[in-house]
Amino acid sequence: MTTSETKASAEFLEYFMTLGMTVMEGRGFYYPVDTAIGQDSRLYVVNRSLDNVARGVRVTMCDIDSEYYGNFGSFGNKDGQFEWPSGGAIDSRGRVYISDEQLHRISVFDHSGAFLSQWGAHGSGEGDLDTPSGIAFDDQDNLYVSDTYNHRIQKFTADGRFLLSFGSQGQGNGELNLPWGVTLDGNNNVYVADWGNDRIQKFSPQGDCLASYGASGIADGEFQRPSSVAVDGEGYIYVADWGNERVQVLDPQGGFVMKMRGEATLSKWAANFLSVNEEEGAARARANLDPKIEYFVDVPHEESSHIEKFFWSPVSVKLDRAGTLFVTESNRHRIQVYKRSAS
Amino acid sequence: MGNSGVELIAHLMRRAGFGATRDQLDSYAAKGYEATVEELLNPVGEQRMGDDLIRRFHPELSGMLAPNASGENWLYRMATTSTPLREKMALFWHGIFATGYPKVIHGKALSDQTRMFRHYGMGSFRTLLLELSKDPAMIIWLDNQDNHKDAINENFGRELLELFSMGVGNYSEHDVRECARAFTGWTIGNREYMELRSQRDSDWPYGRISWHFEYHPEDHDDGEKEFLGQRGRFNGEDVIDIICKQEATARFISRHMYSFFVANEPPVPEWPDTPPSNEQAIEQLSQVYFDSGYDITAMLRVLFKADFFKSPTSWYAKVKSPVELVAGVLRLTGEIDRPRREMLDRHLQAVYMGQYLNNPPGVEGWHEGIDWLDTGTLVERVNFATQQMGDPKKPGVQAMISNIASNAVGGISPERLVGECLDQMGAISVSEDTRRVLIDFASIGGGSAIVPGTSDQQARQQIAAVLQMVASTQEFQRS
Repeated sequence: MTTSETKASAEFLEYFMTLGMTVMEGRGFYYPVDTAIGQDSRLYVVNRSLDNVARGVRVTMCDIDSEYYGNFGSFGNKDGQFEWPSGGAIDSRGRVYISDEQLHRISVFDHSGAFLSQWGAHGSGEGDLDTPSGIAFDDQDNLYVSDTYNHRIQKFTADGRFLLSFGSQGQGNGELNLPWGVTLDGNNNVYVADWGNDRIQKFSPQGDCLASYGASGIADGEFQRPSSVAVDGEGYIYVADWGNERVQVLDPQGGFVMKMRGEATLSKWAANFLSVNEEEGAARARANLDPKIEYFVDVPHEESSHIEKFFWSPVSVKLDRAGTLFVTESNRHRIQVYKRSAS
Repeated sequence: MGNSGVELIAHLMRRAGFGATRDQLDSYAAKGYEATVEELLNPVGEQRMGDDLIRRFHPELSGMLAPNASGENWLYRMATTSTPLREKMALFWHGIFATGYPKVIHGKALSDQTRMFRHYGMGSFRTLLLELSKDPAMIIWLDNQDNHKDAINENFGRELLELFSMGVGNYSEHDVRECARAFTGWTIGNREYMELRSQRDSDWPYGRISWHFEYHPEDHDDGEKEFLGQRGRFNGEDVIDIICKQEATARFISRHMYSFFVANEPPVPEWPDTPPSNEQAIEQLSQVYFDSGYDITAMLRVLFKADFFKSPTSWYAKVKSPVELVAGVLRLTGEIDRPRREMLDRHLQAVYMGQYLNNPPGVEGWHEGIDWLDTGTLVERVNFATQQMGDPKKPGVQAMISNIASNAVGGISPERLVGECLDQMGAISVSEDTRRVLIDFASIGGGSAIVPGTSDQQARQQIAAVLQMVASTQEFQRS
C-alpha cells in the first residue's frame, strides 16, 4: 500500500458548511471567481457578475459565520472599478489586491475596501500584463501574477515594480498554457494551475521548475483544466479540478489522496431566503434534488448543472490559517467549506 | 467566368453556413462542389472556440442566469465552428420550433434545446420530433407540464400539428385533442419547484438547476384514441409515427427547407392559401423525405445538388437574417480569436437588427426575407457591417487588406480594386449597378483609386474604405 492510498480516506477532509447564495447586489455572491482570506479571517469574495451590470461586479466582504461586512467595487474602468475581476490576494498589512483580466491591471484596496491604487499595463513586454488572473503573495509581500495570455508568471513588488518572470507558452517542463491559479508554500515555492496543460507545476521562488503533478484525464490524480491550487503547512496540495467539477487532494509528493464531488447544504443566507419565501421553500422541500437522470451527455459539467449539491465550476481553493478549505463555485454562487478531520 | 466554381461554392457556404473567407473558398474549391456538400453533410472533427475557454472567461455563458447568455454562447459557435451546416440546421429548427426566454426563463434549458437540435437536426425527422416532445424548454414553453390525464392542455398538441409538422388544414380539432391526450404525462422532473422558480425568475439560492424530462405513466391517458383516421391506445411516440407518415408533413418540412435554403416563401399562416413558388422542388424533396425514411440529411443532399439551388438566379435571393449577417462578418474579420467581451456586443447588435436568439417574437418564429428590413434595422445592418469590415485592427480585415495591397504595388485601377475587394470578402458577385457605384466610389469617393506612388498606409486606408463600401451593398447584406 502506497503512502497515497494510506491517506486516501474520506476522513482526510470533511464537509463542514456552505456559505453564500446567488444575489446580484449586496449580501451574496454573483459568479464568484475567487476568495481571498484576510489574516483576521475576513473573506473577500470576488464577484465576476455580468458585463455592464454596475452593481453586480463587486467584492463581497463576509466571514465564515456568514456575517456580512459590505462590498466594494462596481463595473467600469475608473479607479476602484472592475470589468473582469479575477483573482484576489491579501498582503501582510491587510490590503486587498484584485486582478482584472479585461483591464489588465491590479487594483489595491484597504482592509475595508477603500480604493488605494492600481498598476499594470496591457502588453507582452517585461512587466506588461495580458489577462492577469490568479495572484498570490510571498512572505516578503511580493506578488506573483498569473499572466494568462502571455503564458507566464510574473513577480512584482506590492506597488507593481517588475522583479522577474518565468514560463512561456508550451507543454514542456516549466512551460505554461493559459495559467490560472497560483499559490505559494511555506518556502515560497510557487504552484501554478497550468490550466491548458491539465497539470499543476511547482517552481522555485526564482522560477526553476521543480515538479509537475497530474496529466489530462478523469482518473484519480488526473485533471481537466485545473483552475486553482492551494498548499497547506504540511505540503498537501489541494486542486480545483475545474473541468472535472471536483476538488482533489495530493500528498506533498503529488500522490493522490482524495477527491470530492461536493455536498453543499443550505447556507445561513439561503436558509433565511427560503424561510421568508415560504412557497418556494415548501416546493423545494417537496422536490427531489438528487434525481436519477439519463444525461444527454454524461460529463461532469452536465451532472453538476442538474445536481445542486455537486460542485459546479469550482474555480478557487483557498486555505485559512487553520487549514480550513474554502471552495468557491462560480456557477453555484457559493463557497463550500471543508475541514481536516481530527484524526 | 473563371471564378464561377468559387462563386458557386461561395453561394453554398452562405446558405449552408455563414459564409467563408477567400482562403476557405479556395480550399473548398480544390475539393470540388460535390465533395464540399458531402463534407458539410457529414461533419466530423469540429474545430471551434472550446467550451472550456468560453466558460472560463464568461462564467455567465456557463451558468446562464440572464436572458442573453444562451444566444451569446450559440453565436460563439456559429462564428467559430468548422462544421457550419450543423449550426445552420440548429438555427433552422429554432426558427420552426421557436421557443423563447420570456416564458421559459431558463437559459440553460434553451441552450440544451439548441444542443438537441445540433445533435438530432440532421438525422431522422421522427427522432427529432420525439426529442422535441421530451425537450424540457418546449414542455414549459407550450405548457405540457399542465397536460394531465384528467385535465388536458392542448397547447403542445396543437402546435405539434399546426406549426411543427403538418400545417393548418390537414387535421381536425378532434385530432388536436387526441394528440394532446397522447402526450399526457410527458413532463419535467420536479415540475412544481422548477415551474415556480421559472415563473418567479428565481435563481435562488444557488443558481439555475438544469431541467430533465420525466414520463409519469400514472398521469398518462392510456385510453383509446382516434388520430388522423387511426385508432389505438396511442402514446406520444405513436402519434409522432402517424404524423411522420403524412404527405402534409413531408410537404411542410420540404417547404420550410426550401424557404430557408433557397428562396423565401411567404409566412406559414399564408401557406394554406398560397401554393409553393416551386411546386416541383417541394415534390422532389417530399419524395426524398419518404424514400429516405424521413432523413433530413438526404433531403439536404438533394437540395444542395439541385439546379434550383445552384442556379445563379437563386444567388443573393435571400436577405441574411441578422444572426447570419453577424456570424458571417465575425468569420470574415476573425475578431473572435479568443473569448472577448466584444462578443456580447455583437450578440446585442443582432438583437437591434431584429433577431434575438432564443427569444423569437412568438411561436411562429421570425418572419424571414424582406421582413428583416425596415428603416431602423437596415441602418443597424449597414452600420454594423461597414464598421466591422473597415476596422484594420481586426485580423481578418488586416489579412484582406494585406492581400489586396500586395497586388496594388505600383498602382491599381478602381475597377481592379473593387474586384479584389469583392473577391477577398468571399467571392461576391454584384450587379452591374452595384459594381458601377463601387467603382465610382473607388475613383472619386475620397480619391480612393490607388495610384503609383501611394504610400502603403494611404493604400491600406483606401482599401479599407472600399471594403466598407462593399459591406454596405445589397449583395453583402443578402445571401
